[in-house]
Amino acid sequence: MKTPSRSVRWLAAPPALLMWLGACATPPKPTALVSYEDLKRDPNMEDTRRRFPDLVGASDQYGDRATKEWQSNNLEDSTKAALLAEIKLKTALARDAQEQAKARLQALTTEQAKADETLSMVDKDLAAITEQVRLLDSNKKLSEQLAHDQQRATAEREKLSAQLATEEKRAAAQLSLRTADTVDANKYDPADYGAATSMLAKADAEIKQGNWAAAQASLDVAKQRADHATEVSKPSYEQAEQAQQNRARDEALKRDATSLPGVTVRPEQKGELQRLIIAVQDLFTRNQTALAPGKDGALDPIAQLVNKYPSYPVQIVGHTDNRGKVGELIALSQARAQAVFSALVAKGVDAKRLMVSGQGPNEPVADNRSPAGRAKNSRVEIIFLYH
Amino acid sequence: MTLTYRRPMTSLRVAAAALALLLVTGAARSRAWADEEDDIQRQIDVQKSGVADLEHLDRQHAATSEIQRLRDWLGQAWDLRNKHEPDDAREVLERCVAQAELVRQVITAAQLKTQVADREAKLNSTKSETEKKKKALLDAQVRKRALEQPGGAQ
Repeated sequence: MKTPSRSVRWLAAPPALLMWLGACATPPKPTALVSYEDLKRDPNMEDTRRRFPDLVGASDQYGDRATKEWQSNNLEDSTKAALLAEIKLKTALARDAQEQAKARLQALTTEQAKADETLSMVDKDLAAITEQVRLLDSNKKLSEQLAHDQQRATAEREKLSAQLATEEKRAAAQLSLRTADTVDANKYDPADYGAATSMLAKADAEIKQGNWAAAQASLDVAKQRADHATEVSKPSYEQAEQAQQNRARDEALKRDATSLPGVTVRPEQKGELQRLIIAVQDLFTRNQTALAPGKDGALDPIAQLVNKYPSYPVQIVGHTDNRGKVGELIALSQARAQAVFSALVAKGVDAKRLMVSGQGPNEPVADNRSPAGRAKNSRVEIIFLYH
Repeated sequence: MTLTYRRPMTSLRVAAAALALLLVTGAARSRAWADEEDDIQRQIDVQKSGVADLEHLDRQHAATSEIQRLRDWLGQAWDLRNKHEPDDAREVLERCVAQAELVRQVITAAQLKTQVADREAKLNSTKSETEKKKKALLDAQVRKRALEQPGGAQ
């Protein structure tokens, strides 16, 4: 028979067993140990162990001790050992990192040297080519500037040349127009003269606009028309001018002749021919052919007048009254005319200008029945001929 | 029970000698403890002044947590010393020495890493500059060829 005390002992056995098992169970790992084990799983750990075996070995020893202490439920000692293990391992990792950094620094130094060398070469090449490009660029700009300047100079020269040519043509056209003015072309060839004037005005407008080519063409036309007007007008103008000059000279001759002392002056027209007749009386005594004494001086003013107007042909015509035979009277008149001719030649008159004739009594100017009339008819006429 | 008789004077002498020995031994032991505590204190002071230097060196703040840990342990060693537990204090001090060495190595590694980073940056900069200049060189060569053509391109 089982005693109650034995039953109680059996009932109490499981909790006691559980308590014993609980006492024997491993406690939770100290934080330091967990941290150390985490650190140990670093991917670089094997390299670090190879490079720093002493430090990692020491760490391993501390780590093993920490694990044992933990398994022996000695948590405080486990923590202390784990901390040292962690410190040693961290130190090993830090030194490993230093070695790696040093190796990297060395590699970087080499790489930097190469990079510097490359950069230096590129720099040198770049500097050289930049200088070349700068020079080429500079040359190009200079060439462009030169070409531009040359182009501008050429254009300026061409412009000046055109301007000069235009000015010359304008001067020529103006000269032609002035020349046309001198021959009264506006009067004798108004069409050409008007055209020349208007073309000159047109050219002036074109010059203001800088249209040199058109201006030159206009000036050419103006000159051409002005020259033509001059050409057309010149004969008429010269004729008119000559006529005017002749008239003026004729008038002067008349005035000068009229002012001569002891002579009778009268104009006369025979067809187109004009005659200024200067009648000189009392040069001869009756039936004589030589100049009466002291009468030679009366021919001095006449000689001067003939010489003063050298372009006029001069006739010396002797006349008599009607007392005597006509033939003798004509011969007498011719002789007397010859005597006057000789006297005038002696006074410097060109003999070639003088024509001598005798009309005898054929051209009386007064009535021969009176002595006064006969005196008038007995005369020598100095006749200036003109148109 | 057997009674042993001893002369009173002899017993007193023994007792006095034992007491004297005890006092001398106690005094000597107390003196040794004081010397050890002084030594521990000196070591702690040396370590503390070293911590300031380490902080100064740690410009990159790479070892801030480790330095703090060192400080804590030095404080712990000081407490243990004050509690007259020199063995424990020495144990902690030993760890502090190892920790200080760790801090130095971490700082050195950080400095080297900074140097590496600087060098790498410089190298990258040099390479980048080289690439830029190579491109400029190519462009300049193209421009030069163009300028050398008759009439020269813009």
